[in-house]
Amino acid sequence: MRADTEQDILKTELWWTALVTAVVTAIMLAIIYAGLVHHINPPSNIETVDPKTLHLTGEFTEGNLGTRVDGSQITSRIVATQFAFQPQCIVMPANRTVTLRFATPDVIHGILVTGTNVNTMIIPGYVSQVHTVFTKTGDLLMPCHEFCGLGHSQMWATVRVVPEDEFKPGPDGRVTCDAR
Amino acid sequence: MKPAELREIDRPWRIWASIIIVSILAFSVVFGFLILPIVQGRAAGLDAFTAICRAVGILPGSPAVRQPTSEAKAQPTTQVAWSTDLIRSLGQSTPAGAEVAQACVACHGERGIAADPQNPNLAGQSGVAIYKQLHDYKSGSRVHEVMNGIAQGLDGRQIIDVAAHFAASPRRDLDPTTAEVVDEDIVRLVERGDPARGLPACNSCHGFNAGGPMETPTLSHQNREYLARQLHAFRSDGRRNDIYTRMRSVAAKLTDREIDKLANFYATTLSY
Ligand code: HEC
Ligand code: HEC
Ligand SMILES: [Cu+2]
Repeated sequence: MRADTEQDILKTELWWTALVTAVVTAIMLAIIYAGLVHHINPPSNIETVDPKTLHLTGEFTEGNLGTRVDGSQITSRIVATQFAFQPQCIVMPANRTVTLRFATPDVIHGILVTGTNVNTMIIPGYVSQVHTVFTKTGDLLMPCHEFCGLGHSQMWATVRVVPEDEFKPGPDGRVTCDAR
Repeated sequence: MKPAELREIDRPWRIWASIIIVSILAFSVVFGFLILPIVQGRAAGLDAFTAICRAVGILPGSPAVRQPTSEAKAQPTTQVAWSTDLIRSLGQSTPAGAEVAQACVACHGERGIAADPQNPNLAGQSGVAIYKQLHDYKSGSRVHEVMNGIAQGLDGRQIIDVAAHFAASPRRDLDPTTAEVVDEDIVRLVERGDPARGLPACNSCHGFNAGGPMETPTLSHQNREYLARQLHAFRSDGRRNDIYTRMRSVAAKLTDREIDKLANFYATTLSY
């Protein structure tokens, strides 16, 4: 092998190393930017729940789903199931800290709420929990973003963000889309 | 170049690469397992040690914000809970099942094919679906004067046996002369659904081996009158034993005409 070819190879190698480093750095910076500025982070709770009896006991029975106000705490519980969310519409107040709790009895789903930092996977056996503050009012789309079967593309729900003074829980602390 | 010379050139590269990787790792450990948990844990009212243990994964995480206690109603949609053993035994037809089935002949037919189209055919229905419906009649989750009484007379073992028996029976033949030319929009509902209404395709759950909820019943070869009655019942909330409103949320969006045509489609057309 001739010496000048060896030099050429080294030079090419260095260029490609620089390019790859730049790409990886750019991706890392984008992730850090999204995390710090837009508050888009992976959820940090690990909380388990039995998917086989999800519909029978405790928090995620049908009658307990939807938005509920408990003191100063506003929580909405949503089940993602093939191929629909239950409930299919939830009400949330603007400019308040709210908690969304998701669970699934069947397969892996995922959700995001358009235009907000809410984005999480919903995995059988775990409760996915997100805290957020909605700032825009109106009907926001919440599609399933993890392929879950043949009906996946029709799986979406609505998050109805209303001004704080229009957010009026009933005597049981519940707020539903129908009631408004 | 000799190998020794090559190694000499390589050395600083290896040293620097190792230093960089080790320092990235050290930074991640300190930042992710110490700094972040302590800072965020303080905001959630956790002491530093608990927060670190949770970050490392030694202590189970619990909601950082205390959850309101749930006072869920004691009457869920259904009492059925699935297990692998149960599902396995629903696939094994036994002579005991044929014996129990004698009590069903009057309404569901000699071989599980009902003479009166108001009654459902059971032949070739999925065993899991038959089991769930009988369980629901027994617990009162699904209401029907006759079937509630009959199911309460069966014990758990008999329900499994009779479900496995009918699941293994051959289906009703489709009569090609009754198959109507069905409208395009109905076929679209069956195969594609309607995204604008958030309606998944019927066959994404009801199709053969579709991979939807496992208790989904087979619809093809079923009786038209029975199918239409069930769809109306789901839509009007008269039948509410479907887990997480899987079927109620679909039926609620259908029109009278669609219900009629869909029932006809499944009763007369081979849909898969
Ligand atoms: C007196 C008539 C009668 C007898 C006897 C009878 N059934 Fe039924 N069965 C019905 C009718 C009517 C329905 C539809 C009920 C409804 O609309 O909810 C039904 C529904 C069912 C269903 C629900 C089917 C579906 O697709 O959801 C199952 C399962 C069933 N019967 C099983 C049985 C078994 C097993 C026996 C025997 C042990 C039996 N039935 C005996 C009349 C009868
Ligand atoms: C998300 C899945 C899903 C979709 C989509 C779906 N179904 Fe169902 N359907 C079910 C399940 C699950 C049941 C059984 C409910 C229960 O547990 O009692 C059911 C039950 C039924 C029944 C009662 C059958 C019986 O034997 O009692 C009819 C009729 C029916 N569906 C028709 C339809 C039609 C028509 C469509 C399309 C417009 C449709 N379904 C779409 C899941 C689905
Ligand atoms: Cu999904």
